[in-house]
Amino acid sequence: MVLILGGVGAGKTAYARSLGYTDADFTSDVSDEKPVLCNLEALVRRDPDAADALFLPLLQKELVLCCEVGSGVIPLERTDRAYREAVGRLCVRLAKEASAVVRVVAGIPTALKGELPCALR
Amino acid sequence: MMILLTGGASNGKSTFGESLCLQADGPRYYLAAMQPYGPEGEARIARHRKLREGKGFTTIERYTDYASLVLPARGTALLECIANLTANEMFDETGEMTDPVETVLAGVDALRAQCDRLIVITNDVGSDGCGYPPETEAYVKALGRINAALAARADTVCELVAGIPILLKGALPQ
Repeated sequence: MVLILGGVGAGKTAYARSLGYTDADFTSDVSDEKPVLCNLEALVRRDPDAADALFLPLLQKELVLCCEVGSGVIPLERTDRAYREAVGRLCVRLAKEASAVVRVVAGIPTALKGELPCALR
Repeated sequence: MMILLTGGASNGKSTFGESLCLQADGPRYYLAAMQPYGPEGEARIARHRKLREGKGFTTIERYTDYASLVLPARGTALLECIANLTANEMFDETGEMTDPVETVLAGVDALRAQCDRLIVITNDVGSDGCGYPPETEAYVKALGRINAALAARADTVCELVAGIPILLKGALPQ
C-alpha cells in the first residue's frame, strides 16, 4: 500500500492517475475491490470513533489518498477536533505499514518514505 | 542543542520528541504548558502521560513564564507545546490580550541556557486559510512569528507528517 498525502486540491488524484490508475479504479468505499481509496479524511469524518476499524481494510488497497487536515486553528467543536486527530493518528499507523508514503505539494510528489513510485500498473 | 518539531495535529510530534530525549543521558524533564481544560484536555494529558511512562521523565507543569523557571539540574527537556504556551501568554482569564512573542521567546532562551538538549514542540495552525475573529487571527500570526524565530534559534528543525520527520534545517542527532 502506498499512502498519498497532501492538502485539498494539491494534486493527489492527478498523481495517482500518473501511476497508471484510471477513474474506474477509484473508490470511496473501503470494503470494495477497487484498488485506490480516495478521500480517507471523508470516511473518518463520518465517524471519527470508528477510524481504527478502517485500518486493516485500508492495508489491502494499493493506494490510499488522504487530505492533510491538521494544520489549521484548533476547531471549537469537539467533533471537529476528534476528526482531525483521528485522521492524523490513522495516517501515522498507515505510514508505518506503507511501502511508500508520498506527499503532494502544488502538484509535486515527494517521497517521505521509500522510493517515489512512478508507474504501478 | 535545540530541536524544533512542528506539524499538524496528531502527526506524531510527541512520540518523536520523546524518542529524541531518550537518546540522551542525564535528567529528563517534560515541561507541560497545556492547561487541563475539561475532560478532553484531561484525556489528552493522560494519553501523553501514558506515552512517557517508565521513560524517566520528571514532569513540570507550567503554563506561563518559562523565563523564570529554574531546572533542578542540566539535562534534556521536552517543552510541549508552543501553541499552548503562546495562548497562555496571550490571553488572561478576562480575555485581555498581550503580545506573547517576546515572552515566549525569552522563556525558550532561558531553557536553552539550562539544557544540553532542548526539544521544543510547536504546531502549524496557519494553513487552513479560514477567516477567524480578530483575536484568533492575532494568535495565528503571533504563533507563526514565534515559530519562525524559534526555527532561527534551533540547530535542527523537523516537520512531522504521518509520524515521519521531514528535516527542514540542520541534522538529527545520531
